[in-house]
Amino acid sequence: MAAAAARGRARRGAPMYSQKELTSKKRDEFEDILEERRLSSDLRYAMKCYTPVIYKGLSPCKPNAIKSAVLQSEQVQYVIKQLAKEMGESPDIIQEEATEILDEMGHRMQLGAVRFFAFTLSKIFKQLFQRVCVNEEGMQRLQHAIQEHPVVLLPSHRSYVDFLMLSYLLYTYDLALPVIAAGIDFLGMKIVGELLRRAGAFFMRRSFGGNRLYWAVFAEYVKTMLRNGYAPIEFFLEGTRSRTAKTLTPKFGLLSIVMEPFFKREVFDTYLVPISISYERILEESLYAYELLGVPKPKESTSGLLKARRILSDNFGTIHIYVGQPVSLRTLASGRINRCPYNLVPRHLPQKPSEDIQEFVSDVAYKMELLQIENMVLSPWVLVAAVLLQNLPAMEFELLIEKTLWLKGLTQTFGGFIEWPDNLCAKKAVLSGLALHSNIARLADGHVVLSDKGVDDGAVGEVVFRHALAVLTCATYRNQLLNVCVRPGLVAVTLHMAPSFRKEEVYSCFSFLRDVFSDEFIFFPGISLKDFEEGCFLLTKCDAIQMSQQEIYPTDRGSATVSFLSAMFRPFVEGYQLIFRYLSKEMKEAFTEKQFIPGVRNFVFQLLEKGSTQCYEALSSDMQKNALSALVQLGAVKKKKMPNGFTYHVNQEAVSKILDMFDDSADAIPEHNEFLFPEYEILIEPEEPEPDSADDEQEAEDTSKDVKEQEELGAAGIADKAFQSLDEETLEAMAKHETEEEKIFQMFKKQVAAEPEQIVRYCRGGEGPLWVSGENRPEEKDIPNCVCGAKRIFEFQIMPQLLNHLQVDSLGESIDWGTLVVYTCADSCGGGNEYLEEFIWKQDYSMGSAL
Amino acid sequence: MPQILCSLLGPSQQERQEGLECIQRRAVELGKGLEHRQELLKWNGWGYNDSKFIFNKKGQAEFTGKRYRLGGMVLPTFKEWIEKTFGASLEHKTTSRASLNVNDVPPSVVNEEFLQDLRATKISYSQDAEDRVFRAHGHCLHEIFVLREGMFKRIPDIVVWPVCHEDVVKIVELACKHNLCIIPFGGGTSVSSALECPEEEKRTIISLDTSQMNRILWIDEKNLTACVEAGIVGQDLEKQLAESGFCTGHEPDSMEFSSLGGWVATRASGMKKNIYGNIEDLVIHIKMVTPRGIVEKNCQVPRMSTGPDIHHFIMGSEGTLGVVTEVTIKIRPVPEYQKYGSVVFPNFERGVACLREVAKQRCAPASIRLVDNAQFQFGHALKPQVASIFTSFLDGLKKFYITKFKGFDPNILCVATLLFEGDREKVLQHEKQVYDIATKFGGLAAGEDNGQRGYMLTFVIAYLRDLGLDYYVIGESFETSVPWDRVLDLCRNVKERIVRECKEKGVQFAPLSTCRVTQTYDAGACVYFYFAFNYRGISDPIHVYEQIERAAREEILANGGSLSHHHGVGKLRKRWMKESISDVGLGMLRSVKEYVDPNNIFGNKNLL
Repeated sequence: MAAAAARGRARRGAPMYSQKELTSKKRDEFEDILEERRLSSDLRYAMKCYTPVIYKGLSPCKPNAIKSAVLQSEQVQYVIKQLAKEMGESPDIIQEEATEILDEMGHRMQLGAVRFFAFTLSKIFKQLFQRVCVNEEGMQRLQHAIQEHPVVLLPSHRSYVDFLMLSYLLYTYDLALPVIAAGIDFLGMKIVGELLRRAGAFFMRRSFGGNRLYWAVFAEYVKTMLRNGYAPIEFFLEGTRSRTAKTLTPKFGLLSIVMEPFFKREVFDTYLVPISISYERILEESLYAYELLGVPKPKESTSGLLKARRILSDNFGTIHIYVGQPVSLRTLASGRINRCPYNLVPRHLPQKPSEDIQEFVSDVAYKMELLQIENMVLSPWVLVAAVLLQNLPAMEFELLIEKTLWLKGLTQTFGGFIEWPDNLCAKKAVLSGLALHSNIARLADGHVVLSDKGVDDGAVGEVVFRHALAVLTCATYRNQLLNVCVRPGLVAVTLHMAPSFRKEEVYSCFSFLRDVFSDEFIFFPGISLKDFEEGCFLLTKCDAIQMSQQEIYPTDRGSATVSFLSAMFRPFVEGYQLIFRYLSKEMKEAFTEKQFIPGVRNFVFQLLEKGSTQCYEALSSDMQKNALSALVQLGAVKKKKMPNGFTYHVNQEAVSKILDMFDDSADAIPEHNEFLFPEYEILIEPEEPEPDSADDEQEAEDTSKDVKEQEELGAAGIADKAFQSLDEETLEAMAKHETEEEKIFQMFKKQVAAEPEQIVRYCRGGEGPLWVSGENRPEEKDIPNCVCGAKRIFEFQIMPQLLNHLQVDSLGESIDWGTLVVYTCADSCGGGNEYLEEFIWKQDYSMGSAL
Repeated sequence: MPQILCSLLGPSQQERQEGLECIQRRAVELGKGLEHRQELLKWNGWGYNDSKFIFNKKGQAEFTGKRYRLGGMVLPTFKEWIEKTFGASLEHKTTSRASLNVNDVPPSVVNEEFLQDLRATKISYSQDAEDRVFRAHGHCLHEIFVLREGMFKRIPDIVVWPVCHEDVVKIVELACKHNLCIIPFGGGTSVSSALECPEEEKRTIISLDTSQMNRILWIDEKNLTACVEAGIVGQDLEKQLAESGFCTGHEPDSMEFSSLGGWVATRASGMKKNIYGNIEDLVIHIKMVTPRGIVEKNCQVPRMSTGPDIHHFIMGSEGTLGVVTEVTIKIRPVPEYQKYGSVVFPNFERGVACLREVAKQRCAPASIRLVDNAQFQFGHALKPQVASIFTSFLDGLKKFYITKFKGFDPNILCVATLLFEGDREKVLQHEKQVYDIATKFGGLAAGEDNGQRGYMLTFVIAYLRDLGLDYYVIGESFETSVPWDRVLDLCRNVKERIVRECKEKGVQFAPLSTCRVTQTYDAGACVYFYFAFNYRGISDPIHVYEQIERAAREEILANGGSLSHHHGVGKLRKRWMKESISDVGLGMLRSVKEYVDPNNIFGNKNLL
């Protein structure tokens, strides 16, 4: 009786995301540091007693001593000797060169300069910003971290203000000022460059891939600072300021340098501190828009900065700085990194990191950026911009408020960090956003419109340009929302794109988009399925989609959400299509990036002038570059290194294939190949014992009573309702005929109902199989004896449910069965490894019982 | 570390007639030593019964017995140190079982046919519970803990005492004939779980105690070699050689208890290896009995080029291949003059730099060790009460000079201890050379007395664990070897890792986590760690302890340190063998084992 039948449940992967409540995530409170500055003397503040806590056991060191330590280090000396040998020059000359590099690079931190900065910045910041909000708990955590282990600060990069602000902040909280890896273009700004240097910045050339001496000196400089814990190292994972306010994909060079001392165990641990700096209004916003449209960026110069004084009269709202939890590199690496990658080579030799380590560095970089994104503060204006961009050219004010409020809820469901002052009504929030961003949008006749001045007059080209400028500036704010929404967002896009709602197709389409947009948005590498599941989970959470065993489809109530999200990402889908189309049609020859950008810009510009597209964002050079690099990664464009930079070759066929997937992904991705069935995992569970047969009958009676009742109810005139509530089983019972055939099939159904997903029943030597029909059952003589002469006995049966998972159900051609019963040798002969022939009996549904 | 002198803990069943000459010889020796020695050693702790740390009635620490220089002395500051370091309190005491409960001991299962065969050989044996338990363990913390509070799941079924090479041959033959398991037992001082019986071993386990094979067979003064039976204990060997004016110079910290055979089987290292070499440098010839037969060479020469040296299959084989019965070892005339010394350094970094320089100039004295600050303070706490006011005044003056005048921070400084050996003149010259180097690294000579106390402490320190166990403090030592450039990083990281792991595992007081650089080589150094913590409030201290020890070992490996410099692998460190010597390397060792001992007669499951 207690036959242990195996019930199989097929499934694909396990849900990776626990049902975590993203909205309830605990975040620290903010504190406005400007408040105190407005109340007390800036001079006294600048001259305050400044005694930052230091790393344990540290003996302070003058910048010059650090420089000579770097020059004399084994690492640098080794490279100098190598180069001397290779180039046949005297080591002294190269040493000289190294000294120059170091002078160009190194910081000269002086307290005087720091105090000067503290004073001036107080003045400037008070002028520019309403509030500078900092999570104090984060600062306290940072203070502990600095004393414990070397610290690397990883702020987001949206503006030049970032590193000024961060140094200012650390000074305010009496923490050691960071040394900052800043781009060397600052050196062009003579006075400011020097001042920055004295405030602790050191400079790196933007590209020095080929220069081994530079690399060695630079890496050793950073590592010396870090190993000895002289000061926190600060640099930007994104490498440069994001012109789009969207987090840029990380650069790995500096990160792998700062991680190396830990890998080599020169330090016990290193703390990585993600810092999210969010601006209510970005200082350089219009500059960025021009830049994206290809109007050359003014070289950083002191006079440029002085001109920037004009903006001092402007209001730039609030800055939020969220100092994240310090992340221990040791914890991240535990179990990840082969323990002794550097044990067999002296540690001072330059060594290319192993693939393991490169992968790890990349994972850490993405993780840090995701942590930055998580704590980016979204202002109400971000929501307004997102709504507004979907409703151009004009949107009714009331509707905008309503939609903004709705989007606020959605964003919070997705885990977005919205700073919406308590009790501030939506109308006020939107109005204050409009006031702060009057250069972008304004209220006119109860409608909100973009402030693209003088659009109506001027040449068509001028109009397009003006409008593009406005759209791109506005998009800068919407963009801040994208990385929060990207997982559910792409699922939403997919639901509009995929040929059907079948889970596999939706997923493969999602996966395709994720690959295409891998440079556009931040995805942790290699977890496409997890991302998909998170996206689905979040959409399910806000009731936007429903998932069944095989399908994902939008609910009626949720179609608004799905459409909104889909529309939010549409500019990217359309933009990429345009750019791909340009590449597949126009680019026959090899080209460089310098040729590509203006080319594609003209192409899009013409389309916009003709009015055959509305996708202004395709003009953004950021998107154009990302699209190109996506193609390189997908293998549709070959990137070749040439003496004067990179050149690209388009594989026309591959690009058109990708375009096809956008246009029509119906025949896109094969589910599985023709020879193999898809893979699943089988879960094995024992079957619960059957209830007593007496109860059975009782139950059967009860059911029939119910049926009667329901029939009566139906007669009473509320048939509709009653019928809706009738489940399949009851209907079955209603149609019950007392035939032998029926009985067997009913038994089958009853048994299976306990565990409807079973695919295999296993019970070797136990009771016979569960037949689906009375017909075509084998008798004992039908089952041949084993080759060894022993009887064959029942071992297991394969259930028809398996057919659902094999995906071969094109009627007429594909296989079918009622059940497959396998009989094996009672003596279990043949203990070896060879295969033995077994006996299988196929039983189909009888015509009578087939549904 | 140590190995116990179970040597003379002889057979308790002496019912049989003793006929053979060698047996008579043993009878003579046992006659004078057996009962005596049995009382000599602790059954559940380290070393001699009469030597231990206690707190006297005044609550002051005292070391009992007369065997060590510290014996009978009161250590006035020790109590404070122990309370401060471990947060331990004398009021919270644990109690060990007073004696072995024979009823708990797993029964001896030996088949009668084998016993008959064994009796026919006239080799003495015992199935007594105490004899068997005594040989079921080494001196790892968990083993001592089991002795104090529990019982081993599997122990040897029978102990045999061969008295010569031929006896061993007979025993191994019998074991092969009856398919039994042999675990060789020398001094019993293993700290790698090497002596623990594999729980799953179903065959009868024979503990082959080599302690009765303890003769010096001959001394060859022309070639300066001696052939010695492998069961001889270090201090006996030195004592007996000294009678002829020679020494081996091999002095592991456990030399009071560990045996020559054990040294060979674990690749032991001696304190004075800078002059005399480690065991692999000292050994000229090894005779070993294996299930395949006897392995030996045709000559006793300083070096030969005949393929890989088969001695290196034997050294470090940890009892998995056979029993080492006779060893020809290099001897030297006893040195004319010995002098201790010590140097104080402002910090550990300078100290290591000095040792590195000494190694570079190849002028290391017989022994040079550098202890870190925690160990310096610990040594200080073990300073006996000074006899005269004058000495204490002098001490005060020295302290003033070092800390105030020279600006050394007593919480950072560290000390190197030195031992010079040889001709008087050369020693003095050598001494000057080393002190000159030390001066360059900011070192200050700190006197002979400090040096000597340092070395004395290495013998005494092993007794401390038993005291700690009485007060909820558990501890252990472990070691590694590491290239010079990584010494500092490794020391710092491992100590830090221990502190963190303790914190994470809920240890309530910061642990003692300290190290010393204990040997120098051309290319690196041997580092020795002590680690102890107060386990009050932890339900499963041994498990926690093992997790932390494992983490510390992982840290060592990650820092470019070795799995072991001289303790060996045993069963404790087996899990890291593969990454230590690669798959192929392990396969090479396995294939040797497979050929030599196909039926796994030597089934202690060590190493592989």
